[in-house]
Amino acid sequence: MNRICLLLATLLLTNNGFSQQLSQAPITPAFSPVTWERLLNATDEPENWLMYSNTLDAQRHAHLNQVNTSNVAQLEMKWAYQIPEIDRAETTPLVVDGIMFITEAPSNVVAVDAVTGRQYWRYDHELPEDLRICCGRNNRGVAILGETLYMSTLDAHLVAIDARTGNLRWDVEVASYESGYSKTAAPLIVKDKVVTGIAGGEFGIRGFIDAYDAETGELAWRTYTIAGPGDPNVSTWSGDSWQTGGGASWITGSYDAELNQIYWGTGNPGPDWNGDVRLGDNLYSDSALALNGDTGELEWYFQFTPHDVHDWDAIQVPVLADIQYQGEERKVMMWANRNAFYYTIDRVTGEFLVGKPYALQTWATELDSDGRPIRVPGMEPTYEGIVVSPSIGGATNWFSPAYSPQTGMFYVNAFDGEQEFFKRDEDYEEGERFTGGGGQYIQPMDTYNSAIRAINPATADIEWEFPIQPRSTAGILTTEGGLLFSGSVDGYFYALDASNGQELWNISLGARVHAAPMSYAVNGQQFVTIAAGNVVYTFGLRD
Amino acid sequence: MNQPISWRKPIYWAAVIVFLVSLAWVTGVSAQDEGNLYNTAVDVRLGERYFLRQCSRCHGQDARGSDETGAPDLTGTLSRASSDAGVYRIIREGISGTAMLPVPQDTPDPTVWQLVAFINSLRTDPANIDLPGSVTAGRTVYLGKGECASCHMVRGAGGRLGPDLTLIGEELTPDELYTALTDPSADVDPRWWSVSVVLQDGAEVEGLRMNEDTFGLRIMDSQSNLWSFQKNNLRSYQRDESSTMPNYAETLSASEIDDLVAYLFSLRREN
Repeated sequence: MNRICLLLATLLLTNNGFSQQLSQAPITPAFSPVTWERLLNATDEPENWLMYSNTLDAQRHAHLNQVNTSNVAQLEMKWAYQIPEIDRAETTPLVVDGIMFITEAPSNVVAVDAVTGRQYWRYDHELPEDLRICCGRNNRGVAILGETLYMSTLDAHLVAIDARTGNLRWDVEVASYESGYSKTAAPLIVKDKVVTGIAGGEFGIRGFIDAYDAETGELAWRTYTIAGPGDPNVSTWSGDSWQTGGGASWITGSYDAELNQIYWGTGNPGPDWNGDVRLGDNLYSDSALALNGDTGELEWYFQFTPHDVHDWDAIQVPVLADIQYQGEERKVMMWANRNAFYYTIDRVTGEFLVGKPYALQTWATELDSDGRPIRVPGMEPTYEGIVVSPSIGGATNWFSPAYSPQTGMFYVNAFDGEQEFFKRDEDYEEGERFTGGGGQYIQPMDTYNSAIRAINPATADIEWEFPIQPRSTAGILTTEGGLLFSGSVDGYFYALDASNGQELWNISLGARVHAAPMSYAVNGQQFVTIAAGNVVYTFGLRD
Repeated sequence: MNQPISWRKPIYWAAVIVFLVSLAWVTGVSAQDEGNLYNTAVDVRLGERYFLRQCSRCHGQDARGSDETGAPDLTGTLSRASSDAGVYRIIREGISGTAMLPVPQDTPDPTVWQLVAFINSLRTDPANIDLPGSVTAGRTVYLGKGECASCHMVRGAGGRLGPDLTLIGEELTPDELYTALTDPSADVDPRWWSVSVVLQDGAEVEGLRMNEDTFGLRIMDSQSNLWSFQKNNLRSYQRDESSTMPNYAETLSASEIDDLVAYLFSLRREN
């Protein structure tokens, strides 16, 4: 095989179109097994995008600089891949040694050549007809370990797929879809385990985070995100309300190998908008959890919104970095929450360091010294309705933020919205929606402001903002080329200067961007990929 | 200004009719709980007639699907539905976001159930088949003398140089399995054709054809490496449409082949 690689490299080296790029990087066989060591050191191979947030610290920062502030205006489309089923693409593809893995709605995955977008194989997951899903048929990506891909499915299964053929290796039921559980997020590999969350917070589930043996699919551990019997924090739930307490975990977490801690966000308590039936703080809903990387045991938690009654899930990707804070280096976690507050937290202990609003909010006057919100009285949903900021969708939501080690700034798509919140009385019925209310916009969307905001994690101050009209539900990518890429609901994909927010390039893709951009390189050429509508587009500089 | 609705008014009767129709609809759908009541030989024939008229344009006259239209093969495992009720629902409601449209709203329930019966008839019910071979002995041949697992996967275990056989019992009849074993090149899916590529300097790469389009070619070599070529970068490339599988009529006895057929036919969904 090495002989063939060499011959192929020789062939391409003599081809004018690729000679410059090839001289910069050797051809790798497509592809080599992705070991845990490769995942641990993902920054050492910037040409690949090996996990949902690129690296275990979830910074979503590409260490590539061929496309940079001086030439980004010359980006052109290289290829497009049409997802056969029309739905809302939320995928972040992976790229391993020139092969791209794209997940599709409802629960499918396709492998394509990352240079041309042309298909190698596809896997279609068989689904039942009576799924219980709250918010669309979505899938956000796969994880890879060795030669196997791991994917969540809408019927609350976890499947292992051979990355070379698309053959199914194993398929385990994580929870019963008939009880309202589903799965949409990319799993996270930690050592030899597949760590994965669960969705279903609108169906009165009891959330958890699971780890499965990557080889066999056997459950290694389960940590419930809602305190139950045996846990003193069950007292934060009135009566038996913990049993239907929600606390879903439907976005991918992050991992610190030195601390051996897994970080994961949890969703709203159930029912969402009627807190009368679940008095108390409702731990560990709307929290950041730090779990032991081997056992899943809870090492610390930080609850952003105690006794949430507005559906402000802490379903954001926990972004990790070591930063200078008040003159000393601290291992921190950066978190722009759906509740409109930004937080910097010491990830060793869970200690709150600093936090401020980063978007319009009317429900709390400020955070106290422990990071707990000081509430404005009378902002709970009523039977008649009450207007509160942020909206149910939040000041941000699941879409990924980014941190650039180059600028030292944290970036988030922020929305200054409001909604009228209602509550209603509702009995729990297994497998049925259990929300206890809802909300509605009272003004046209164009009335509200939205922006990419760059936050200094040491102060929680906003350094700059780039306004977006009407708003964005896209993730963010930063690169070593000094760039920030993101998209908007009205179908634009654009690049900003990450240091100051200056607009450098944009293109209309004609359909809502609801996914996060990613970047990779093959044969020395850098590409940037984004899904818009049901199409995956890839851009690069002219050859 | 709310006013009571008089039972004499047309709107009242319209509402009653809508209610009764909806009740009838619910009754029609819920009949699925008792299984398909329209599954006699006559129903299957009527279902086939409807299929040929309305469905074959996309799914093909033989219901084996079409790469051109993207319509799936209905003779094997159905990836969208695992029950009569599921097939009924897809026919009635279509599949959102795809070219699979619902049947016209006024299509009578019996017609839809007859179509379900016809689609079911395309697959062979193992309960009605009495095969001469032994499943257990066939598994031994599969793993041993036949060396099938070196190229094929079953439930994630095995090689990558042939089709995944996990559900092969739902996809092929015993006769088709027999033919595949004793005349493997009779009907080879293009996914399993071989391709030989000659690079500009004369070096060759060989592998199984994973995918091909106007400008590109993607193959898997014998080491399971994936390669993507642009055709205009190649000196030449050549397809071999025969199977890479050995002809087992030459290496296995008749009874061993019977056993292997029995084992392969037993590979289907776990209930």
